[in-house]
Amino acid sequence: MNTPYLETQAGRFYWTLTAYPKTILFLGILLILSGAVFLPKMVKDTTSEAAIPVNDPVRVYRDRVKDVFGLKDPVVIAVINDGPNGIFNPQSLSVVSWITERISEVPGIDPDRVTSLATENDIIGTEDGMFVDPFFEEPPTVQEEADRIRQAVMDFDLYVGSLVARDGRGTLIVAELLKDAEGQADEVYRQLLAMVQQAPVHEEEIHVAGEGAVSGYLVSYINADAQRLNPLAAFVITIVLFFAYRTLRGVFLPNLMVLGTLSAALGGMAAAGVPFYVISNALPVILIAIAVADGIHIMGEYYEQVEAHPDVSQRELVIRTMLKMWRPVMITSITTASGFIGIRLASYMPPMKDFGTFAAIGVMTALVFALFVIPAALVLVRPRRSKMFRGGFNGHSDQSVDWFGRLMGVLGRSVIRRPGLVLAIGGMVVVAAVLGALKLEVNEDRIKNFQDTEPIAVADRAINRIFDGTTYFDIVIETQEPEGLFRPEYLRRIEAMQRFFETLPQVKGTTSIVDFLKQMNRGMHEDRQEAYQVPDDADLVAQYFLIYSASGDPTDFEEYVDYDYRLANLRVIMDSGLFTDEEVVKETAEQYIREHFSTPEITATLSGRGSVDYQWVSQIGRNHFRGVAIALLAVWLVASLSFRSVTAGTLSVVSVTISVLLIYAVMGVLGIWLGVGTSMFAAIAIGVGVDFAVHTIDRLKMLVHDQKRNLQEAFAQLFPSTGRALFFNFAAILLGFGVLATSSVPPLVRFGSLIGLSVSASFIASMTILPALIYVMKPAFLRFKRAPERRETILPPEPAIVPAEVDKER
Amino acid sequence: MKKRAAIIAFFSALILTLSALVYPARSSAQTDELNRPTGDEIAQRINARNEGEAVSRTLTMELMDRTGKKRVLVTRGFRKYYGEEKHTVVFYESPKNVKGTAFLTYDYAEANGDDDQWLYLPALRKVLRISASDRGDYFLGTDFTYDDIKKETKVGIEDYTWKTIGEEKVDGHRTFKVETTPVNQKVAKELGYGRVVRWVDAEIWIVRKSEFWDVRGNPLKTIHTKDIRKVQGIWTAHQFEAENQKTGHKTILTLSDVDYESKVADDIFTERALRRGI
Repeated sequence: MNTPYLETQAGRFYWTLTAYPKTILFLGILLILSGAVFLPKMVKDTTSEAAIPVNDPVRVYRDRVKDVFGLKDPVVIAVINDGPNGIFNPQSLSVVSWITERISEVPGIDPDRVTSLATENDIIGTEDGMFVDPFFEEPPTVQEEADRIRQAVMDFDLYVGSLVARDGRGTLIVAELLKDAEGQADEVYRQLLAMVQQAPVHEEEIHVAGEGAVSGYLVSYINADAQRLNPLAAFVITIVLFFAYRTLRGVFLPNLMVLGTLSAALGGMAAAGVPFYVISNALPVILIAIAVADGIHIMGEYYEQVEAHPDVSQRELVIRTMLKMWRPVMITSITTASGFIGIRLASYMPPMKDFGTFAAIGVMTALVFALFVIPAALVLVRPRRSKMFRGGFNGHSDQSVDWFGRLMGVLGRSVIRRPGLVLAIGGMVVVAAVLGALKLEVNEDRIKNFQDTEPIAVADRAINRIFDGTTYFDIVIETQEPEGLFRPEYLRRIEAMQRFFETLPQVKGTTSIVDFLKQMNRGMHEDRQEAYQVPDDADLVAQYFLIYSASGDPTDFEEYVDYDYRLANLRVIMDSGLFTDEEVVKETAEQYIREHFSTPEITATLSGRGSVDYQWVSQIGRNHFRGVAIALLAVWLVASLSFRSVTAGTLSVVSVTISVLLIYAVMGVLGIWLGVGTSMFAAIAIGVGVDFAVHTIDRLKMLVHDQKRNLQEAFAQLFPSTGRALFFNFAAILLGFGVLATSSVPPLVRFGSLIGLSVSASFIASMTILPALIYVMKPAFLRFKRAPERRETILPPEPAIVPAEVDKER
Repeated sequence: MKKRAAIIAFFSALILTLSALVYPARSSAQTDELNRPTGDEIAQRINARNEGEAVSRTLTMELMDRTGKKRVLVTRGFRKYYGEEKHTVVFYESPKNVKGTAFLTYDYAEANGDDDQWLYLPALRKVLRISASDRGDYFLGTDFTYDDIKKETKVGIEDYTWKTIGEEKVDGHRTFKVETTPVNQKVAKELGYGRVVRWVDAEIWIVRKSEFWDVRGNPLKTIHTKDIRKVQGIWTAHQFEAENQKTGHKTILTLSDVDYESKVADDIFTERALRRGI
């Protein structure tokens, strides 16, 4: 072996590294195994609370409210009958009884906390007394009896809209989970589905829903999805690798990198105690696609070296390869990681922050494997040529490579022939993209996390259509001292607030302790309608509470009033979970509270699902653009520093900027929201997409600057070799993200599709607009003028002549 | 009392010695098992206890929710047997805003006959007939059901199957551990219990502790009886602590000024008395 490599530091480094291949390989495998041992520790967290940091004031307050009022997330079964009598007919009511009976037998359900028409009591006032009796003991056998029940239920304001639909078409069976079963919501949900399957239905539709069901459902949903996506991604990538080089090592070595990357990212998550969230599902797939990229470039270079130097030793081939590749591989890894770090820094939601962190760790691990383990492993095998590169590589022609390479060559020549046209088209795309991007909307709807046809989404729609809805705000009213809520003037203020909220769009109903007191007051006054009001006497209120507790559970009012009657909970129910709808209610509510509930003696605070949703979604827009800015800046900085040129750095980010703009336009035009699932796309797309530009510029610089080629020659060589490798790099990433698009979790589908689209745009821009720009600008960092031995030092003014020159050269 | 214990001890020792002679292989534990009363016998003994014909007492209810917030209610109550029929009246004394609120109940002898119940609300100055409570309903917002309360320290023999399952010490007293299971699903639902284990004092036949499971067999609550002492010759439990495991809610009922001897006038169990108060 000759020793010219020892003149450079990198050369000495690889000379040393390739002397201990087995040790390095062993360390690499050790790294993989040490990450893998933590995997069994991984926990899953699919609750919507996971989206908010534990110490966020909104979440802290929400948790406190839940604790004070003992709020649970029950499972809900809806029975709907679209017939003329709705569910008020003997058959449907018997179904309600049947489910009420059976639901308490489902393991995990608290049999003492099941609420339905079959369990609830009516309060009836008569001349000589007040009677609290079940709406029915046994389901009715004749329609007249069902009609009587309808009348009684519809007269009970508290249940109308919540327990029964306002038009009588449906009713709910609400059940709470036992404390021990809260972690097994998915199993309970499954059992409930199986139970309702057996219900003796005729015309009734039955739906299972509720937050408990949703999070339960998500767990099984994610598991099924991950079990399909991850192997599929690995398979697809392997196919791409096979087509790239058609050699065993060309498939095996990049896959080794994938293992290292996954083990570091996922093992790291498990070791750090970070749970696996819904969004984490995208992590393995993305890392698989990204991790192979470095491998593709290194193997590509290696096979070119094999062709160019058939007589040198494997060790020398590896060193030559690495000397050419360490720099671009390092830059692209750092830029890719920068995208993820942008997400880490700009995100608000812990799942996204963690996503950014562990994706960046994965990418950097891939770099470690690319720089150390791959060359070490490569040294251990004998030199072997790839069929794809047979016939040598002379730097002037692309005849020797396969049709992928030739295709890239054709593309390169076309671009150089008409750079002005390319740039003009590029400019038009940018203008169109900006116009489209203006239509981009920030929005989110939790139920859109499920496919429209999923039972849970169908159930949610049905409940929102027929009942008051599934989204709610809780307004906590706080008085100064215990029993403050006995005071009629406060109760009337709460009542006024309820009436106000009921006028807001999408708000279908409100409930508070006031409704109970009014019902009670009417019951005490022979059911006279004019008695349906807040009592005038604080002592009477106290006595109503006392006697109500005499007939109910000790914890009956828990959800509405705290134990010393100081805090009350007013629940506002909406039939839309859309962020923009929640926003209206949230903002109006806060204004109302400022105006009417901010005296020292009585205050109100907004909480509830709607508030929590608002808190995280409202951050998405701003954080998204912050993330994009951080990623762009980081990428620009890394590229500028590595190329030691601001122009080169700026040129590197041109394609990704265009690609991201383009995606905004697509989203704006197609009405895809910038939401939880889609907000991470841009930073990732920048980090990943910039690789194409970096490889292009790096190779051009090497060809023009180091090898003293002129620009035409450089392009002629660039496209079939680097261009070809970039094409496979692109294919791997596109197909990897494409796998995400086959997910059954809609946010992952949108996320994968958008990144796929954006990466495609980056790739195309890097292969067209970027070369055209360089060709026209002739940036100083390439310094191609100092090649006096070449004929063409100054390019002719008309680009159209250039191809002829190139052709002549050939 | 000491004398009786000594006699029991003496005879126990004698029996042990004798049985050891007769059945040398049999352990003392097995002997104990043979000597234990059956579940039904225990139930009979509990319900045979004297509770006095009439009683008046102050009942303080301390209710605590999951978070430790507390409500304290003080009532004065009267109860009187008319043969099998039982009349009970409870007057709230504090807090002030509910003072004078009263509940009057007639429990009739027939097992299936609905009881009669009246309520007086001082703020409305109105007596209202109210629906009879079900056995499994909670009593005045406590963790005790009407059935738990109605029976006072007695038990429903016919509702459960009774089985003695052991002997344990509770608060330093020897008790028989009895497993009781509702006779059928319907009764279980009425009571709200799927199973109850009770620790019955082996001497004075008061239930010292009970553990309850719901109809599906999930742990539900415990009741602990404390401060048991004789009042006017009658063994009287003065404190009952109940804790619901599911809700975290707690109740402490404390009896004071228990009086079995003063006359309880019949007209205190009337609508007029409700209005008048005590």
